[in-house]
Amino acid sequence: MLWVDKYRPKTLDHALVHEDVAQNLKKLVTEQDCPHLLFYGPSGSGKKTLIMALIRQMFGASAEKVKVENRTWKVDAGSRTIDLELTTLSSTNHVELNPSDAGFQDRYIVQEIIKEMAKNRPIDTKGRKGYKVLVLNEVDKLSREAQNSLRRTMEKYSAYCRLILCCNSSSKVSEAIRSRCLNVRINAPSEEQIVKVLEFIGKKEGLHIPSGFAARLAEKSNRSLRRAILSFETCRVQQYPFTSNQTIPPMDWEEYISEIASDIMKEQSPKRLYQVRLKIYELLVNCIPPEIILKRLLYELLRKLDAELKHEVCHWAAYYEHRMRLGQKAIFHIEAFVAKFMSIYKSFLIATFG
Amino acid sequence: MGKKRNKVVVLSSSDDDERHRHRHRSLSSTRPPSTRSKFSSSTVPRPNANPSRSKKPRLSDSTSFLFKDDTSDWDEIKVFCEDFDDTPIGFKVSDGSGESNQKELWVDKYKPHSLEELAVHKKKIEEVKLWFEERLGSSKDENTSKVIVITGQAGVGKSATVHAIACHFGARLCEWNTPTPIIWQEHLHNSSAGLRYMSKLDEFEYFVERVRKYGLIPPTENMESKESIILLIDDLPVTNGKLAFERLRNSLYLLVRSVQIPTAILVTNYGEADSGDHTTQYLEELQSSLENAGACKVAFNPITHNSTKKILSRICRLEQCKVSVDQIDLIAKASGGDIRHAIASLQFFCVKPSLAHPISSPNRPIMDKGFPLDFGRDETLSLFHALGKFLHNKRETENVLESVGDEFSVQERLARLPLKMDAPEKILCQAHGQARPIVDFLNENVLDFLSEEAIDDAWTVASYLGDVDLLLGTFRGMLARRNEAENVLQSAAASVAVRGVLFGNHHPMPSRWHVIRRPKLWQVEQLSLSNKKEMIKRRYDTCSGMSSSNFSVIATEYTPVFKWLGRGTHESLDSRIDMMSLDDQESVVSEDEIEDW
Repeated sequence: MLWVDKYRPKTLDHALVHEDVAQNLKKLVTEQDCPHLLFYGPSGSGKKTLIMALIRQMFGASAEKVKVENRTWKVDAGSRTIDLELTTLSSTNHVELNPSDAGFQDRYIVQEIIKEMAKNRPIDTKGRKGYKVLVLNEVDKLSREAQNSLRRTMEKYSAYCRLILCCNSSSKVSEAIRSRCLNVRINAPSEEQIVKVLEFIGKKEGLHIPSGFAARLAEKSNRSLRRAILSFETCRVQQYPFTSNQTIPPMDWEEYISEIASDIMKEQSPKRLYQVRLKIYELLVNCIPPEIILKRLLYELLRKLDAELKHEVCHWAAYYEHRMRLGQKAIFHIEAFVAKFMSIYKSFLIATFG
Repeated sequence: MGKKRNKVVVLSSSDDDERHRHRHRSLSSTRPPSTRSKFSSSTVPRPNANPSRSKKPRLSDSTSFLFKDDTSDWDEIKVFCEDFDDTPIGFKVSDGSGESNQKELWVDKYKPHSLEELAVHKKKIEEVKLWFEERLGSSKDENTSKVIVITGQAGVGKSATVHAIACHFGARLCEWNTPTPIIWQEHLHNSSAGLRYMSKLDEFEYFVERVRKYGLIPPTENMESKESIILLIDDLPVTNGKLAFERLRNSLYLLVRSVQIPTAILVTNYGEADSGDHTTQYLEELQSSLENAGACKVAFNPITHNSTKKILSRICRLEQCKVSVDQIDLIAKASGGDIRHAIASLQFFCVKPSLAHPISSPNRPIMDKGFPLDFGRDETLSLFHALGKFLHNKRETENVLESVGDEFSVQERLARLPLKMDAPEKILCQAHGQARPIVDFLNENVLDFLSEEAIDDAWTVASYLGDVDLLLGTFRGMLARRNEAENVLQSAAASVAVRGVLFGNHHPMPSRWHVIRRPKLWQVEQLSLSNKKEMIKRRYDTCSGMSSSNFSVIATEYTPVFKWLGRGTHESLDSRIDMMSLDDQESVVSEDEIEDW
């Protein structure tokens, strides 16, 4: 098991970061009925950890017995039936899923699963009718239709289930949903907090951490706790005992993108554009999301760029990122951005150096 | 053609029936009756048992065939029919010797009877003739195969060639005639009478079996002991599904292996454009299996433009109708190498003005302008041909229309020379292109056609293709309900894509040999989907189902770590990447390579 999973706090009391939020949540569910919740915050800040601990708080240890299922739903959509396949995680008391994996058919998923949950309500030991918890990840990636249908079902079935929504940015969640939930913002942990967690893990694993090494890991992690722990473990495999100036291995796809960036800087021609396309294909095959590719590519290009051009390049990156979200095939837009960059950069070079 | 019962019987009103009965014989026999013998089973009604009933459909069909494209001119059709009735000429059985009568289809009337009359290329005729000569002359050597397979598109004279050659050698031509289809009522009647239904395939198998075992026994009445026989299988039974096809193939295979009489099997190739269905695949498979069995294969090409023209003008001379050279040229071009079609068109063309002179006169100028004639075939292009046109981007060397519209002068950098091709939309239409695949193909290949330095052009093209992607993405998920909008969007998107590429490629490469690649994007999409499933599964396995995470997190953070940690994931991922970069798929893909057009 990865350290990330191994040292994930199981209960709200054991939380190492966001202790205050954890305590508040605990009070919320022990004292009264729980409202719908919306957790938002940057990636690697501990949203999922809190959610899982919260569910455990609600239902006790039984919530930890989960099974992974690949389920198929048959949805009746007017004239035809659609088969939807999705992976779900479920225990007796909760179901967790990523509705946005269903692509543009996500709206059916949300409705269908909530209806189904409403049908078989669990009854607790005292004979009271209980409720189930539905955890929806990546709500910000849901289409607008899906969010609308989510809002409706939320109202209709609120007696039967509680929704816990989880997303990175609440700005992409519709106002209507936000106002029906208790919003919980989870900040990215500070570097000191990350260092504290790393040292905690080091102690548990019986490792000696040289001074400054944990701080470097924290700094490299871009304030993502998950990332910090993952690279901590990688370093452990690479070289132990640690030295304080040990290299922290970067993610392979990030290296690959910086390679692409230097390719682009070296030559600007249709031929090179074609080579770049092939490299981007390789990233896509390995399932790196296109938005992240574009973002990272821009970051790498900006590092090497003359300040004069930065503004224009950023403008075009934003332009193509937007179009990428509207369109279907990301590669067209990434390629258009690369071509535009090459075109700008080449004319800049000609203007400067003749 | 005569088998179908066409609905257009309306043409002949009921009181015409008497007269039809008189005339049926002139229109009926398409081939010299002496050269045919029937091998149909007993369930088939004998054609001359009740002539007026069995022949009428054919008559009405032939008229409707002539007027198929021209349903609006009802008056003319009536005139045509009356005219038909007004000229009572008694006919003998037409043996095609050139009796001048207007009522026969010219296709039958001018059917070639000697090898010289054939429009097929001399070499091909020679090849087939030689083959038959060998087989007919010395039937001693048992090793040589007795089957020839002649392929070619419709109307290139496959049957005509075999008939002419049979005539030439004085051989009797025995033909497998597909039995008439049984309609449901008949079937009910038969089955109540205790007759079992036999499918056409069954009958064909039975026939082949018989021929293999016993050879053909010529009908006794006019038997000359020395007469040689050629077996002709013109009409293979239609097979539907794999099972039926296997049966057909097996029976043909056996036929090829063991038949003792020289046999010709004719296979009609359908155009590339129709290759959507499975029949073409089946036919190709069939041909190769026949060849494997030892059959000799001769492929007939479409009739050349010149020979079509020659034939047409000969017919014009014989019929004494005045058709200008241009018009003949046009008809020949429109026929696309289908001589039967060309002759039928010519007849139609000649019939029209003489019959309804006052009515059709306004039509004439349209024709003279070289407007596409209303009997032409639709021209089709293969997808690769169309893509080649777009990618090569042939343009005039200088602007001819320069000083025409000064008020709309375009900026220097936006101006392009006129295209050396039809409107792109027309080409798209001819290629039956779907927007999505066309865009993918263009995107994959266009960079090869840009000149070294033209990165600005690359950007223009890329941004247009991006626009297309947006257009195609607009209504996703709501396709079912908005078919109309979808169609418009599709064509608009295709048009934007093609014009974008044509406009953007301002400095095209000097033309040279290029291979059109299949879009790698398709492969990438599939691979990434399967990878995604695998990654999710692995993630769940390792965390033993404790939590799910965003997929992007799995891909960008967990997977690289797994790789570092080398938890058995290493090999599978790397091998996948290797597979990607091997590019083995690529070379297989396009045999349709594109040269300079």
